[in-house]
Amino acid sequence: MGVEWREQSLATKCSLLIFVIFALLTPLLATGFGAVHLSIEQVWQSLLGGGQDLTSRIVLELRLPRILLAFIAGAGLALSGAALQLATRNPLADPYLFGISSGASFGAICVMTLLGGSFSGLLSGSELLSGAWLSQLTLPVGALLGSALSVLLVFSMSGGGYQIERILLSGVAVSFMFAALGSLLLYFSEPQAAAAVLFWTLGSFARASWAGLWLPALAVAGGFAVLLALKRSLLALLGGDETAHTLGIKVPFLRMGILLLCSLMTAVLVATCGGIGFVGLMIPHIVRLLVPGVQSLWLTALAGGVFMVWVDVLARTLLDNQELPVGVITSALGSLFFLYVLRRRRQVIHE
Amino acid sequence: MVADIQHHEPDVLTVEQLSWSAAGKALLREISFSIPPGSMLGLIGPNGAGKSSLLRCLYRYIKAQQGRILLDGRDIESFSAKEFARCVAVVQQDTLAQMDLSVRELVSMGLTPHKGWLEFDSRQDRLKVSAALEKVGMQALADRTFNLLSGGEKQRALIARAIVQQPRLLILDEPTNHLDIRYQIQILELVRSLGVSVIASIHDLNLASALCDKLLLLNRGELVARGAPEKVLTEAMIADVFGVCCQISPHPQHGKPLISYFYGYQREVDHGG
Repeated sequence: MGVEWREQSLATKCSLLIFVIFALLTPLLATGFGAVHLSIEQVWQSLLGGGQDLTSRIVLELRLPRILLAFIAGAGLALSGAALQLATRNPLADPYLFGISSGASFGAICVMTLLGGSFSGLLSGSELLSGAWLSQLTLPVGALLGSALSVLLVFSMSGGGYQIERILLSGVAVSFMFAALGSLLLYFSEPQAAAAVLFWTLGSFARASWAGLWLPALAVAGGFAVLLALKRSLLALLGGDETAHTLGIKVPFLRMGILLLCSLMTAVLVATCGGIGFVGLMIPHIVRLLVPGVQSLWLTALAGGVFMVWVDVLARTLLDNQELPVGVITSALGSLFFLYVLRRRRQVIHE
Repeated sequence: MVADIQHHEPDVLTVEQLSWSAAGKALLREISFSIPPGSMLGLIGPNGAGKSSLLRCLYRYIKAQQGRILLDGRDIESFSAKEFARCVAVVQQDTLAQMDLSVRELVSMGLTPHKGWLEFDSRQDRLKVSAALEKVGMQALADRTFNLLSGGEKQRALIARAIVQQPRLLILDEPTNHLDIRYQIQILELVRSLGVSVIASIHDLNLASALCDKLLLLNRGELVARGAPEKVLTEAMIADVFGVCCQISPHPQHGKPLISYFYGYQREVDHGG
């Protein structure tokens, strides 16, 4: 944050400090919530290696990987959204800009209806809703292939990255195409498949495990590092393509690179935890509205991660013995908070 | 050409027989000129004469089909993107309205071509940015949001960014557009005071006459006159290219051509000049 940090007002600095402390405490606090409620002491002891056997297992094998996965997914989606908004100079850009989510859904539907027509029948309805079918390894692979296919299609039609409009429109077209194909397949499949696909699209961290963490962690950490390295060039794009050109940036090259990087990051996340909406669009905006004039990737990633962890806490505690899909909560919470920030922002300007 | 030869130092920029056409229309035709070091060149001409296109060729945003452009004797095509941006800085005509950046951050963008991938701003860089802000008289506004500045302030911030770029050549596309007269004079005098070679397109002929060492007059993609303001700004030439009548007299302060326009074009006007 360096230079930017010194220029903020005292009030902004204080709230940022409080936010960072809150973010650091989040894993400790969030671990306590769930079907079995744990106190902070119990969590702390388990983390230190002490504590009762059952509590330790809940904390270390269930809650912790889940919280980490939520954090990684939130940070990755927020980063990807922020980078795409910068690279396309479009405030409505989000990680699913290139049909990634409908591509992934299509891939998942294909796996379920065409390849594994039998296993959707094997699982009972409750198992479907609890996401048990996700244990099938083929599903994330199908989703990854589907999103890769959509990204490839968008890239082949985007004409080298010179025109933003062309990229955006090909993204919309590919997105609709995969949505239509997916719907068609679903229409001819069993009702359980439709329910499973719906649950999958709305996202869940219920299947998080230590073994499944490394791929999303690697994708997001790698993407973050590259974006940090490219930050100066990304900021130069803010001034328009021609300005960026005069600052020595190969604009189409940079733009397509960013799109590819964000697509990879998002595709891995979607394949792991489903298509969680709104985070990638909203978090960068909220960060910008709350801390205007600072384009901080660190803050965006942290805000996205913390937000997702708490959304997941809500998802597993709001209803007894049942989990809500994460996507429902992100959209509901996100839109409300977004409206509130917009309102507050307008008042500040009027004063 | 005679004036060019008198300089012993080699020219910063040389344009040779440049032609550019788009969609089958020749928009720039066989343009040749050069910029001696440290001089300020004014590019004048009516709307649609090709001023912006010519400048875009100079900063490689568009590529001319024919001719060569040499920067310090080297073909500009042989420069890498970064290398070129370290030599040539540009202040464009229109800046995007939505730039959610502080003035200091905008000016720091000028460091971009001097920086590698993961290089952060050093203390020296920050001093450079502060010095540029001071030079354009913007240090008090350094932490303001760029969007909220007035037109003149925005233009000065963009010039500060160009200063940070430390160019050999500064290209300005209508830097005085939308500014009131005080800012128009201020901006051009500021640019002159920097000591780098400058080429700027300017709409106001009196301003161009007063503040530029030499002028290039462009009409329908052709260079119709070039040289000192006294040589380019004649009554006949202005009547011919701009289609207005005027009288030219020496300016009371600096003696360069001062143009007084005649009015009343709704009625028939004698085009004798």
